Amino acid sequence: MSMVRSEFRKVTTTKVLLWLTIATIAFSALNVVLLVFLTPRAMDIDSDLNLLLDPAYVTNILGAAGSSSIFILILGIIGMTSEYRHMTITSTFLVTPKRPRVLIAKGITYALLGAALGLIAFITSFAVTLIALMTEDHAPVDAIIALQILGGVVLAFAIYAFVGVSVGALIRNQVAAIVGALVWVLIVEALLTVFVDWIGKWLPGGALDAVLQTTNVTGRGGEDILPTATGVVVLLGYAVIFGILASLTTLRRDIT
Amino acid sequence: MSPKGEVLTVTSLTKRFGKVSAVLDLSFTVQPGRVTGFLGPNGSGKTTTLRCLLGLVQPTSGTAQVGGHDYRELPHPAAVVGATLEASGFHPGRTARGHLRVITDAAALPATRADEVLELVGLTEAAGRKVGGFSLGMRQRLALAAALVGDPGVLILDEPANGLDPEGIAWLRSFLRARAEEGRTVLVSSHVLSEVQQTVDDVIIISKGRLVQAGSLEELTGAGLTQVRVRTPQLEVLRAALLAEAGSGGVHVEVVSPVELMVSGLEAAEIGHLALRQQVELHELTPVGTDLEALFLELTADGNPGGAA
Repeated sequence: MSMVRSEFRKVTTTKVLLWLTIATIAFSALNVVLLVFLTPRAMDIDSDLNLLLDPAYVTNILGAAGSSSIFILILGIIGMTSEYRHMTITSTFLVTPKRPRVLIAKGITYALLGAALGLIAFITSFAVTLIALMTEDHAPVDAIIALQILGGVVLAFAIYAFVGVSVGALIRNQVAAIVGALVWVLIVEALLTVFVDWIGKWLPGGALDAVLQTTNVTGRGGEDILPTATGVVVLLGYAVIFGILASLTTLRRDIT
Repeated sequence: MSPKGEVLTVTSLTKRFGKVSAVLDLSFTVQPGRVTGFLGPNGSGKTTTLRCLLGLVQPTSGTAQVGGHDYRELPHPAAVVGATLEASGFHPGRTARGHLRVITDAAALPATRADEVLELVGLTEAAGRKVGGFSLGMRQRLALAAALVGDPGVLILDEPANGLDPEGIAWLRSFLRARAEEGRTVLVSSHVLSEVQQTVDDVIIISKGRLVQAGSLEELTGAGLTQVRVRTPQLEVLRAALLAEAGSGGVHVEVVSPVELMVSGLEAAEIGHLALRQQVELHELTPVGTDLEALFLELTADGNPGGAA
């Protein structure tokens, strides 16, 4: 698939992927360290309970791999919007004038990159967790649960990067797209969930948590979260719907 | 064997941006084997027309086709048309070679083409440098390299001489000439006629989105034939002699003042000879060369769209 190869070359001949990979590793590691060393002690003030002895809490620490999801979304957004920002979209569309094909090639490329970053994020959090827990009393790390989290992170990041590409195709201005995505993920979705309970799990962030299966990290759990398979379908649905909307609107616009 | 050129056909092309008509009912064809200059002042609709031809801009009505097909329907566009456009960009952090490899990958061309075209445009030494540090001239060369990567039979170049030094322009001229002689279609836009005057065979001149003139360069220069200014106290005698000569055709005599004529269709020497035979006293006999740039400005001036031709 020549177009996917071209997209890989675009992203590997610039620095964005490198910086976002570093950010993903750093943020995953930081979250693990905070969960191991800071949170249990902060809670110890009120109680003698050592959270690290709770298997659910240890699972939660591993789940920190999913905490860097926002970087993956930004990676996808930049993958699309940087073409408009630097006007390389002209040469892209000259080689591939059937524009939806460009969107599909980018979707596939960034899904693969997202999966790779998911793997990197998991390896980081797993390694840092094992190292950090060495000096602490803790519940055992469950290999099955670790694998489940690995699968969740890889799948979630793959789809989330694709969502980013579609968002970038809809909102062609890079700054607007990134700021818009951050505001949505960090503020709007949280507010919506506060006012309309049931809606949260159906929103992109809710679907992401369902795929990540990291309920406690985001404070969601039980009935507030979709089954994993449904989460996959809903999140993928957002990527596809945004992509189709873009194909019918913004992607068709004149390149001047 | 070089790839064959295609005929470019623009038919009743109209493009409106909001209420502004950038191109209005424009029709022309561009033939292979010739270098065609696409001329008009800045803002006359040249770039919009080229972008319609390249499938980047959707016409409001009419068509702009390559070899009878819409650009978007070409199965392998990079091998048919190579284009450089003014606003087309480069990622500043990408190297020259990286930029071309992105294209060779997407067009399923061998990666070696990237280095081949870099050599062709004289950028081999800058291949590994980031485009962000390139001069305008280097960017022009890189854009040309990108257009050539698929060895296309059609070249569409928007203001390719911008930013090139005189050597670069001379090189570009002979390069385009050679491509046309191979049978390829070469369309070059410019807002300065003199810039392409020495390069082009055909010209298409537009103004305010409308066609002003289309034809060969000879036809255009013919529209402003070489004239000779003649001053004589025996104006009527000379005029009669000139008109008698005009029986053979192609001679035009205009009375400017009681002592001055403007004659076209005859060389100064022929007029001098005629005056001698008629024993007419001459006070001035001056060939007035065709000023193409003035002609071009006149053609594209306000209030003259769709005129001439």
